[in-house]
Amino acid sequence: MNPLTEQVRTLLRHTLAAYGDSPQAAGWLHHHLDRFDEPLRVAIAGKVKAGKSTLLNALVGERIAPTDAGECTRVVTWYADAPAPAVRMRPRTGGPDRPLTLTRRDGALRIDLQGTPVSEVDRLLVDWPSQHLRRTNLIDTPGIASLSADTSARAGEFLTPEDSPSPADAVVYLMRHLHAGDVRFLESFHDRGVARATPVNTIAVLSRADEIGVGRLDALISARRIARRYRGDDKLRGLCQTVVAVAGLLAETARTLRQDEFVALSELAALPRSDVEALLLSADRFGRGDLASPDPATRVRLLERFGLFGVRLASTLIRQGVTDPTALADELVRRSGLDELHRVLQTQFSERRDLLKSRSALLAVDLVLTREPRPAAARLRTEVERILAGAHEFVELRALSDLRAGKIVFPQEAMTDAERLLGGEGGSAPARLGLPDDVGPGDVHDAATEALRRWRRRAESPLTGRASAEAARIVVRSCEGLLATRSRHHAHY
Amino acid sequence: MAVPEAVGLVDLALKAVTAYDRPDLKPRLTHAKARLTDPAVRVLIVGEFKQGKSQLVNALVNATVCPVDDDIATAVPTQVGYGEDTTVTLVRDKDGGEHAERTSVPLDQLADYVSEGGNPGNRAGLTRAEVTLPRKLLQSGLVLVDTPGVGGLGSAHGAATMSALPTADAVLLVSDASQEYTAPELDFLEAARKLCPNVGCVITKTDLYPHWRRIVELDEGHLSRAGIDAPQLPVSSALRLHAALTQDLDLIAESGFQDLVSFLLRKVVSRADELARRSTSQDVLVTCQALESKMRAELMSQRDPERAGALATELEGARSRVDALRQRSARWQLTLSDGVADLIADIDYDLRDRLRAVSRDGEQLLDDADPADIWEQFSEWFHKQVAHAVAQNFVWTTERARWLAEQVAEHFAEDVDVHLPELRIDGGAVAGKVDALEMPAGEGFGIGQKLFVGVRGGYGGLLMVGLATTMAGMFIINPFSLAAGVLFGAKTVRDEKKRLVQRRQQDAKNAVRRHIDEVTFQVGTDSRENLRQIQRELRDHFTTLAEELSESLAKSVAAAQTALKDDAARQKRVADLEAELERVSGLADRARTLVAEVAA
Repeated sequence: MNPLTEQVRTLLRHTLAAYGDSPQAAGWLHHHLDRFDEPLRVAIAGKVKAGKSTLLNALVGERIAPTDAGECTRVVTWYADAPAPAVRMRPRTGGPDRPLTLTRRDGALRIDLQGTPVSEVDRLLVDWPSQHLRRTNLIDTPGIASLSADTSARAGEFLTPEDSPSPADAVVYLMRHLHAGDVRFLESFHDRGVARATPVNTIAVLSRADEIGVGRLDALISARRIARRYRGDDKLRGLCQTVVAVAGLLAETARTLRQDEFVALSELAALPRSDVEALLLSADRFGRGDLASPDPATRVRLLERFGLFGVRLASTLIRQGVTDPTALADELVRRSGLDELHRVLQTQFSERRDLLKSRSALLAVDLVLTREPRPAAARLRTEVERILAGAHEFVELRALSDLRAGKIVFPQEAMTDAERLLGGEGGSAPARLGLPDDVGPGDVHDAATEALRRWRRRAESPLTGRASAEAARIVVRSCEGLLATRSRHHAHY
Repeated sequence: MAVPEAVGLVDLALKAVTAYDRPDLKPRLTHAKARLTDPAVRVLIVGEFKQGKSQLVNALVNATVCPVDDDIATAVPTQVGYGEDTTVTLVRDKDGGEHAERTSVPLDQLADYVSEGGNPGNRAGLTRAEVTLPRKLLQSGLVLVDTPGVGGLGSAHGAATMSALPTADAVLLVSDASQEYTAPELDFLEAARKLCPNVGCVITKTDLYPHWRRIVELDEGHLSRAGIDAPQLPVSSALRLHAALTQDLDLIAESGFQDLVSFLLRKVVSRADELARRSTSQDVLVTCQALESKMRAELMSQRDPERAGALATELEGARSRVDALRQRSARWQLTLSDGVADLIADIDYDLRDRLRAVSRDGEQLLDDADPADIWEQFSEWFHKQVAHAVAQNFVWTTERARWLAEQVAEHFAEDVDVHLPELRIDGGAVAGKVDALEMPAGEGFGIGQKLFVGVRGGYGGLLMVGLATTMAGMFIINPFSLAAGVLFGAKTVRDEKKRLVQRRQQDAKNAVRRHIDEVTFQVGTDSRENLRQIQRELRDHFTTLAEELSESLAKSVAAAQTALKDDAARQKRVADLEAELERVSGLADRARTLVAEVAA
């Protein structure tokens, strides 16, 4: 067991003991004690029509979140792993959850609210057996800047609740474009909760990446170039861990690719190139053209599932020699950027699970102490303070924020090195040392020793400024930690 | 095409005025002619960024004029109009817009100056780029203005775009078919409808989105719910450009550009055209009436010398009544001066009220959090709110000013109408002309021009800088407290830090108040100035009108007194006058046909 989580758990229990007589506080703390053992909660947020539900489907690999051309998600919806599918509705007015019926149409899930107005629904809870939901619960939120003010308000309420910490442990923020003016969207007051959530639990996704290059074959390369530029943007670095470009629709479809779709695409690929190109000039043409096989209805379905870009890419790949559906799906997933997103989610969220959970729990304790001050609170508050100041995970986090905010300055190379060693690119030992994942323990040991020596020298150099020396000492501690626990990290994953 | 016809008519009227020796009628006609020779019909192309605005312009003129990029593109407004040669001119305003520096560059270098890549954040400080192209579409006088989408519609930049609306003949809101309208887009449309005679909703990239019809349908719903009457024009620039290469007629039809072009020509250009016809016709008619009234007076006195004296007295009376219109105490004068005074007070109150609400919300937000944590987001939000308030105030000012001008015109026309049935002035037409005069598109006029320059000189730019410097001193915060604060959000501010936070909150709130004061002062001064300008223009317009009437009547009085004694000579003069009256009424008929053609 991780010492940090142990400390936080103990603190939660102590607080619970002190507040046992207050039903509200006790309920809240119990809830958080339970939450500690639950999967990590990741909310998917963003402006309306940013492709949140589509991305959720892509991450799970099944079409469980309803998607539509119009604005679709109007209620906060939680997706969790369970032995059997079920959906419940939690009314806003309190009272027990009410079960709803689930139906499937065209392979996509439909949820019938049975006439309950969305304004009276607090959230929908969807149980769905999926290994992808086992360690992470996904939360789909309504779009920000929706035309329906209520829908926006529901998202805002969820992501930035008025008086308590956000129910999500981490946030994936989707945006369709972002440039000088758009950085401000992230910071803008509407997204206050997301931005204020500190960069540590936020990653930004440049969604609908295929559309950025208006569906050209090189659209994703273009999108990746843009994402890279954002990653280097000083302002954005202070708002989120990283930026990844993902073509959501393509990823969703690739992960749910069906045999008949592959057959239809192969038929397309077999046509002369110029014919296909003429057909793919516009979505209308593709659906209408007088081609016998695949027939128009199939083509309309293909378009629905792949988008113009997806059809273009998939047929090109088949023409280039991808011959079976699995290989095609894999290649499409890889190109869609979903793999990269998975990797980032793994390094930034899953590997930081303890830290993120502890953070949520500390926020919860803090809320209780502030809301219901009593004599015992002073001692508990000191304990919160002690964990915050003492736990190396939090110290690292602060140093990382300072580095990214430009408050501590090292030479460029050392800066990158420090960020990595502090866990900026993932908490595992190889990630911190910039080594491949499958590297042996011996190499890890050598690299960590070398890093330790390097940073000790920097920390002790009389030429290093006071703030920088302080930061260097934190890096040294991280290196020592690596040497002490390198085997544990490996056992963990 | 009315313009050549209208110019011909004005030339003819000018000749007549010279022939009948009435130099007093000349300025009105030369002014009309000057208006006709500059037929620019400005169409603003606006929208959120990355909706395909630049590509739309390119597809309309079938040339790669505006740079298009997957990442950021347009940074400087680009104006595309007709010219016999392809030219590109970069314009940089100096000394607050009084002087402009103009540089010519080759077309293929335009991207280096107007794109975000070549000129990030418009570092070069360009006001706009002007492109001329030999294209048939543009020959009608269309000038397409591609605006940068930076910042989105709700930002200060969006407010600048909005204030350019009254000077434009049409605005096209560009939104791609990937999603239905968002709240800022609908807000913009609602304001645009009040400020601009023609609003079109262009839905782009229909080639890319299979569901574009659904989106158009959804948007239609949004528009009708908001009570906005604007045509939806789904287009695909990519198909249009491709079709131009292959000359594929089906593709052209599918691209949807035929509807867009016909909207531009049939509605936008022809409305500008109609306005030109109407005002030209009105000018010529007024001239004819002035000529006629003198001739008629003389004719009456020649036919019936006995009554000449009585007629002269009657006309003299009419003249003194018209002269009374020039007095400060005339009803229209009072309407105008009272109206403007009221308007200034109301607009000022409205502005203060809106800004006070922003200030109140802002202070509330600052009370709830540590300004150090939220300052960046806060100032962004704050600027948007201020920009929105200023824009709304501007919309209201424009509406009210237009209404006032109509009121004044009505009162003037009524007074003239009562006393001088022969010199009837069509109240509606006067109001129509006043309408065009109220917000002239001339250089250096009013909020519109100033704000359109936007990035540099507009309120947005000016005030952003102001606020940034005000707050510069606020960030003396020790790094540890900031990190902890950030980590825990604003809720967990420790007691010992409370004092510091309170100080920061106080500082921030002071900055907000100072900034609001500044905005109130600046915008208030400008809108007062603007309204005074409107007042002057209206007063000059109607005073000139009254002077013209008075002059005409004086001539008529003189003519009435010239009755000849000799019968034979009198008969000859009567015949002459009848023939001349015939000619003048021929001219008047032509003037009437000019408008009738529009109605037909």
